[in-house]
Amino acid sequence: MVSLLEMPQIVSNRVSHETAPSPEQKTGESMIEIENLDFAYGTNRVLHDIDLSIPARAVTAFIGPSGCGKTTLLRCLNRMNDLIDGARITRGSIHIEGIDINSPGVDVVDLRRRVGMVFQKSNPFPKSIYDNIAYGLRIAGVTKRSRLDEAVEKSLRSAALWDEVKDRMHVSGYGLSGGQQQRLCIARALAVEPEIILMDEPCSALDPIATAKVEELIRELKTQYTIVIVTHNMQQAGRCSDFTAFFYLGRLIEVDTTSKIFSNPSQRQTEDYITGRFG
Amino acid sequence: MIAPKHILGTFDEALASLRNNVLMMSSLAERSLGNAFSGLFQRDDDLCALAIADDEEIDQLEKQIDKDGIDLLLRFQPVASDLRRVVSAMKLSSNIERIADQAVNTARKARKLNQHPALSEMQVIEPIYQHALAMFRDGVDSYAREDVTLALTMEARDTTLDQMNAKASQRLIERMAQDPEQLRGYLNLMFIARHLERVGDHATNIAEDAVYAIAAEDIRHQHSAA
Repeated sequence: MVSLLEMPQIVSNRVSHETAPSPEQKTGESMIEIENLDFAYGTNRVLHDIDLSIPARAVTAFIGPSGCGKTTLLRCLNRMNDLIDGARITRGSIHIEGIDINSPGVDVVDLRRRVGMVFQKSNPFPKSIYDNIAYGLRIAGVTKRSRLDEAVEKSLRSAALWDEVKDRMHVSGYGLSGGQQQRLCIARALAVEPEIILMDEPCSALDPIATAKVEELIRELKTQYTIVIVTHNMQQAGRCSDFTAFFYLGRLIEVDTTSKIFSNPSQRQTEDYITGRFG
Repeated sequence: MIAPKHILGTFDEALASLRNNVLMMSSLAERSLGNAFSGLFQRDDDLCALAIADDEEIDQLEKQIDKDGIDLLLRFQPVASDLRRVVSAMKLSSNIERIADQAVNTARKARKLNQHPALSEMQVIEPIYQHALAMFRDGVDSYAREDVTLALTMEARDTTLDQMNAKASQRLIERMAQDPEQLRGYLNLMFIARHLERVGDHATNIAEDAVYAIAAEDIRHQHSAA
């Protein structure tokens, strides 16, 4: 099994370069374990025998050419693929903190609360900024105004958006810029206090300044959350992530520290892809 | 194994141009060393002047390689082996420029020596020169041919060069005591041996950078780290 946790020197290096984690933080432990995973859309098998361990409180980037299965794998992690007819895991398992997320007893709504997602295109609800953030909490049964206020402010601060919107909380989320809308979506995901945040090309529609703000946000969030990001932007993967996994034709070709992948990858296919020799 | 071409042809062209300039620069530096030492051994001031004059072109090439390397980093954001090649090319050019400086230093001292009767101790310089020149050629060769095995011979050869230099210095010091009237001449020969010892150091650096470019291994300062 390809496991980043089998590289203790890498994990300990990373910890030593960060602010010392509080005792309850479990930096470096595995959060997600994917074992022998096959996935198919109908009869079309798109993921083959994926074995991957994703560490807690770190950023793991999925890279690879279009159609390699990275977004499909990302969507497996909070069972978003359940919404697609004929899409199914045909073999293997995904465990999050030891729990098989595809076992019959798992509450999918609760799973998606624990594993939040941010999409390629920002998708705020046609509601006020405040209601966008409060939406998930209200669904979860929170009605007390003071608790909602507190959670909204905390989420917006965590998403580095509070100072920009605090005086217009009741205007539509659509009134924000593209970058602000994406950070609003991140704040919305944070409001329900997830443990994992999945990001599917979160900056592909953003300008460089908005991209930098989201990347800085990712850096801040990784001290508390496990982040998995799909990106086509090699430089972004290099800047943001601690670990990088390269996929090709539905297979995991290589996973290692981001520094290793972008300086001296072990596999020729990885080298050819990241250096632009594919094709 | 030859790497396939990049999808971006301009990227391949920029990398090839950078490499060609490094190889051109090394050819010019080798020629300068040849002119400086021929000027010394044949007592030919014109060859010394040529070595000194050629340095300008080598300096300009160093600047060009730095400019092209920065431009390449800026435009193509290379990673993995491409990044290592760019970084190594820039480091190589710096070492080659310093080797060319040693040729200039030698040429200047040779012109001074040429003003006086020939010293028989000149012969101690010849084998040191041949050894250092071979190291320089092989250092550049290891880069050009991506030959790690050749590059790894350099450290031991540099130790040999250091020993040759020490031995030559010892002999020249002895001669200074025996023949103080030629003190200035012996001193210049000692400096020239020292210039060759520096050529060996830069050639070793070049081979180390070649290993980094080829195999992503940093083999520098391994003894000091142990």
